[in-house]
This record gives sequence, C-alpha cells and structure tokens, in this order.
Amino acid sequence: MLKQFQSGGTGQLQDRYEGPVMAFHEFYQDDFRPRDHYLPMWEHIQIAGQQMLGAKARDAHLALHNEGVTFTVYSDADEGIERVWPFDILPRIIPGAEWNQIESGIKQRIRALNFFLKDLYHGQRILKDGVVPPELIYRGKDFRREIMDIDPPHDIYTHISGVDLIRDEDGRYLVLEDNLRTPSGVSYMIENRIIERRILPEFFARYRVRRVEHYPDLLLQALRHLSPRGAESAVIVVLTPGIFNSAYFEHTFLAKEMGVELAEGRDLVCKNDKVYLKTTLGLRQVDVIYRRVDDDFLDPLVFRADSTLGVAGVINAWRAGNVALANAPGAGIADDKAVYAYVPDIIRYYLGETPILASVPTYQMTDPQDRTYVLDNMQKMVIKAVAESGGYGMLMGPSSNASQRAEFARKIEENPRNYIAQPVVQISRHLCYLDGELESRHLDLRPFAIYGSEIEVVPGGLTRVAMTKGSLVVNSSQGGGSKDTWVLAD
Amino acid sequence: MMLSRIAESLYWMARHLERADNTARVLDINVVHMLESDEGVTEEMQWKPLLAIVGADEFYEEFHPDGRITVQRVIHLLTQDRKNPGCIHHSLKLARENARVVRDRISNAMWETLNQFWLTTDKHLAATLQPWRAAEFYAFVHREVATFFGLSQSTMMRGQAYGFTALGSLQERADMTARILDVRYHLLLPDLSLVGSPLDYYQWGALLKSLSGFEPYRRQYQGGIRPIEVVEFVVLDPDYPRSLTYCVEGIERALGRIGHVPDGAVADRLHALRGHLSGVTANDIIDQGLHEYLDDFLARLAEFSDALQADYFDAHLGDAQ
Repeated sequence: MLKQFQSGGTGQLQDRYEGPVMAFHEFYQDDFRPRDHYLPMWEHIQIAGQQMLGAKARDAHLALHNEGVTFTVYSDADEGIERVWPFDILPRIIPGAEWNQIESGIKQRIRALNFFLKDLYHGQRILKDGVVPPELIYRGKDFRREIMDIDPPHDIYTHISGVDLIRDEDGRYLVLEDNLRTPSGVSYMIENRIIERRILPEFFARYRVRRVEHYPDLLLQALRHLSPRGAESAVIVVLTPGIFNSAYFEHTFLAKEMGVELAEGRDLVCKNDKVYLKTTLGLRQVDVIYRRVDDDFLDPLVFRADSTLGVAGVINAWRAGNVALANAPGAGIADDKAVYAYVPDIIRYYLGETPILASVPTYQMTDPQDRTYVLDNMQKMVIKAVAESGGYGMLMGPSSNASQRAEFARKIEENPRNYIAQPVVQISRHLCYLDGELESRHLDLRPFAIYGSEIEVVPGGLTRVAMTKGSLVVNSSQGGGSKDTWVLAD
Repeated sequence: MMLSRIAESLYWMARHLERADNTARVLDINVVHMLESDEGVTEEMQWKPLLAIVGADEFYEEFHPDGRITVQRVIHLLTQDRKNPGCIHHSLKLARENARVVRDRISNAMWETLNQFWLTTDKHLAATLQPWRAAEFYAFVHREVATFFGLSQSTMMRGQAYGFTALGSLQERADMTARILDVRYHLLLPDLSLVGSPLDYYQWGALLKSLSGFEPYRRQYQGGIRPIEVVEFVVLDPDYPRSLTYCVEGIERALGRIGHVPDGAVADRLHALRGHLSGVTANDIIDQGLHEYLDDFLARLAEFSDALQADYFDAHLGDAQ
C-alpha cells in the first residue's frame, strides 16, 4: 500500500511531497526504500549529510549564472525575460536495459514517421488505404501543399527529433509528443551534464554513466551527409530567428560546438536557386541549413509573406536540390497532436511491427461522440491545441477554473480540428532538492534522435521537472526546471 | 639595456606561470573526462600519460614503488607534492619569487594579481586536494594566470621587459604543446593507417581541449577529428596561439624587441627552429614519424634555451664589454 512520505522514517531521506500518491516514483520503491539503481547515490548522501546538497545547489546556480545559461520566457506584457536555467542537482538515473527499450521504441517511431511524411508528400497511399482519415491531414495547419513531390536528400524529413516521454502510474514509458519541427533543449542536456560533473563528481565515481556530449558531432555529420556538393566541402549554417528567440542560447551553442556559422535570415540571399551567405569576402554558397525558424517564417515567397526572419527563395533552392534543409519543411504534420493518435497505426502500416512504446489515449474533437464526452468531462482532461508546443495553448482540466473551461469549450466548438483531449496522466515523480528540502516533483524525458546515415538516439536526454508542487506541467516556459539524465552502461 | 638577473627573473616568472597553467589544464581535462564510462579504459591508462607529459614518470616510481597509478596519487604529485619541483604549487611559488625581484619592472596590477594568487593557492593547498574539488581549483589557476598575462598585454611597455616575459611563456608553451601532442598521439593512434579518418571524438577532443584548441579546430575542420589535421593544426597553424609555429614566430618577435647580442648563438638557434617548421606539411611529418619530428623539435628548443642562457643571462661570465 502507498502512504504519505511524511515521516523521515528509519534512516530514509525525508520527502515532504503532499500531492496525489498514485504517480510512479522514480526514486522510491513502494516500501519507500530507494530503487536499486539509486542506492549508491543515496548511500553517498547519507555519508556526506544532506547539508552538503545545499552548498552544491548554490554552486550549480552560480555556475549557470556565470556561464550565462539562460532561457527567455515570453509574456503578453513585454518582450520576454531572461532567466537562469533552473537546475536540480539530483540526477535522474535510467538503467541500461530500460534505456534499450526507449531507444528501440524511438527509432521505430522515427522510421515510420519518415515513411509517413514521404508518402503524404508523394502518393498518399496511407490516405487512400483509409488508415489515416484524409481530412485530418488536409485540415492540418502544418500540412504544406507547397512541397508536394519534392524529394529531400535521402528521403529524410526529420533529421532531428526530440521525443517527449512520460511514465504512467505503472512506470510504463509512453510517448507524449514527437517533436519533429525544431525541437529544442539539447544544449541544456549537455550543459546539465557539464554542471553536474563539476558539482557532483563524487556521484559519477559510483556509476558508469554513458556520455552525451558527442551530440553536436553526430549532428554535424548528419548535416554534412545531406550536402548536395558532397560532405567534404559542405558549407553549413545554423539559421536562427535572432537574439529574441527563446532558444537563442541553444542556437549559438550548437553553431559554436559544430564550428559553423550562425546566420539570421538577413545574412542569406538566394540567386538562381542557390543560397549564399553574405561574407566579407563576397557571397559563399551554402549547402545545408539547420534551420531553427518555423515553416511559417522560412520563406516569404512560399509561406507567410510578412516574415522577415526567413530567406526569400530558399524553398525553390531546396526544390532544385541545391540546398538541404533540416528538418524538412512540412515535417510538422507528423507531430500534429491529432495525427499523434494514429502513430501506432502508422507504425503497423509501414513497418508491419507492433509499436514498442505506448501512446496516451487521445480524443479527437472532430468526432462528435468524443467531443461530447470531453466537453462533459473537461475537469478530468488535458486539452491541447494541435499545432502548439512549449505548453502554450493548453488547458489542464483539474487545475482550471470555470471561465477557462468555458473559453476552451467555445474554441473547440469553433474549430474542432484544432484541439485534442487526453485523460490526465499522473506522470512520474522524482526527488528534487528545493530550498534545503528533498521534495518530489513530476517530470518527463526528452531524448534526442538524429537521422543521418542511420538513426542514433543519444543515451540521455533532457529531463524536465515541474518545479511547482503538484504541477504536471514541465515546460520551461511554464516554470519548469531540469535534471541531468544518466543512462547507465551495463 | 637591462640587468641579466632582471631579465632572467622576468623570463622565469612567465615560464613558471605558463607551466602551472599547462599542468592545470592537462589535469583538468583528465579530471573532467574520467567521470563517464569508456569501454576498457582503466584508471592507469587514463592517468599514466600525464606523468609522461610533464616528465614526472621517474619521480612517480621513486615515491610509489608499488607502481600502482591512481587518480588521487597523480593529482597529488602534479599539484602539490613538495618533493616534485614541477608541481603547480612549486611553480607558482617560483613565479612569485621571481616577480618579487622584478616588481619595479612589472605593473602594480600584475604584481598584486600574482601575489594574491600565490597566497590563496598556498593556503588552499595546505590541505590535500580531493579529486572532486580539483576541477574547481584548476579553473581558478586558469583564470588567475589568464588575468596576469592579460594585464601584461595591457599594462607593459613593449620593450625588453615585455620581450623576456613573452619569451618565457612562449617557450614553455611550445615545449608543453609538443609533449602533449607526442604522448597523446601515440596512445590514441596505434595504427598509422587510420591517420586520415575521424576517430574517437572524446579522446581526440580531450587532446584539443587540453590545448584550448577544441573550438577553433572545429571551426577550421569540419570532417570530424582526424589525426592528420590535428597535426597540421597543432604544429603548423600560424594563427592558433598554442601551435609550435605560432610560439616560434612569437619568440622571434620577442627577440626583435630585445635585440641580439653580437656574436651570440641565439640567432642561429632560432634559425634552426624556424627551419624545422617551415616548408613541411602534416603529411611530411607523419611520413618521417611524428615522434621523431617532435623529439627533434624539443632538442632544438633545448639548444635554443641554452643559447638564451649563454647570450643574455650568463653574459657577465664572458668578457667585459
């Protein structure tokens, strides 16, 4: 039986968590002993004393502050506020066997979703066979008719993905979202590791932790692989919307680690279906663009005409095969939250395999029966806009008030294709060291996969933590923090 | 004109500081990189090369007859062991003693920085440095040394005093760069046929990081980390401030400020160093054997050092002029 964690108990860590107790606990077993893979760390804390953690937490904050590891929170009131990346010093540890299952599950999804994208933008066999309803695709905001019949290099659409995983009440890993457009967070995965190593080398000494810092090298090799003029002479740029973007730190980080130019739209120009970088020595042809600008803003001649962030003509250059874009425009339809419900079918259809990772049950608001059920049970649901990310455009039923629910009900009636609903999953929790106390907080996991000559999933990921007590929302824009994530070699 | 003794002190002040910084850098990279797992790499394999780089292998055997190589022991020997005159603690002590001699030749800001640096270090190293506090200490050493040399750039007149300071640091740097490359390269590349292929990102990355060359290298070369390009970069690139070519060109500039001694040996020795580096490509170096090439370079550097000693520091032993 589960019980509250109030008592410090017999030599156990104190945990003053007061929220619902159904959620799976990453650290404790049901009898409140640490799980086996946390024992070495736990023993170390017992020996060194809990107050040691206080000094370590201060060191970590100071180091992040000095290094300028920040992110920007947008609000309606102003242009955005820069904050120090909130970091919890206790690592999340994933045993090797558990990781193997995650890794093969992610690879399977990405393979299937790439077949799916290729099909959607060519013959649309899957729609004709009635596996995915055509109207779901045609009404999807991120289905881009403009790119029909374009063949991206090696038929890869999703070079970089950050698949969000959660664990349900039984500890089973579920996919929550496949982020296939311009997923961010990988720089924080690496910064977390660098900080953790500086702050808590004692912990590392007790484990065999797999490395994550070769991610930029994998990315560079995958991007070079796409170069129309061959990998050897490839000129690669990272395309950023600029310093006001919330992920600008990450854009600079990746450009620097890969040793490539960080460009804004105004640094690039197209001529004769080729893309050039404006340099002090004249125009230099670009082969591969790792773009961190959304489809909408990528090319004002093809998508939004009012965009000043993109490069006029880049889509034609891509169509002509003179430049490669990562990720491919139009990939967003495959991580649309309404299409998400069909991913298990998509995997069976293209691969003939059983999905390795489970999904969260999803109600389609275009289905009248589903819609009525959801509108009657909004307090038990999470309602999400299908093409939003980062925790924007979302209603958490249990913590919502009547007027918020009325607003979402109205929006759903107005545009049902734009919303889906899912039952609230009590996502797993973990110990965090907060203000001198050990407390439990909910978290998720975003591993990163790179599709180059093959698919590689870096052993680790970004663990995001809902720092507010009881909250299930982990997005950094909504006050989330993070932990270093260790995959064990065993 | 400058007193030989003053010139010698400026030279050694800079040289000991550069040495402390370089030692801290190789240690730091190892401390940071030992934390995660690498298949089949033992503690001994990880730490033994460091002893070779700083030339402390013999000391080590003397103090630890059981021959067991551990993190704790290596860190102690290279950081603070009083019996090792090349340890960081002792290098800083000598740097500061030399600086005291030349206080009037360096700026106040330089003196105060170095003095505080020494006092803090001495206090800190009174206790044994634990491996998990080591990274923090080495970062402190980098920062302080960088501040000191930064101040020398912005506060010293570009005359003889500056010239001897630059000589000391560049000569030590060239020496250390050659040693790091020599030792690491042979451990990392047992098979010469792989010289053109991208190899282990972490091990080669660590080599470049211990020479503060990781990021500039990535900018210069996009094809992964290839041994042949590492050699080209670390030995020959005139713009990379730790390359052998850069150091030797810097030494040449510094000697230009100081002026040559009539009938001195320094000019010839410098010429020999320059000759060793010019007109060769990375391929030539690999063909003739990197180890032999670097050995030869270090030998010429040592001869240059002897000439420097004879021409400038021991000048009073010769005939009165």
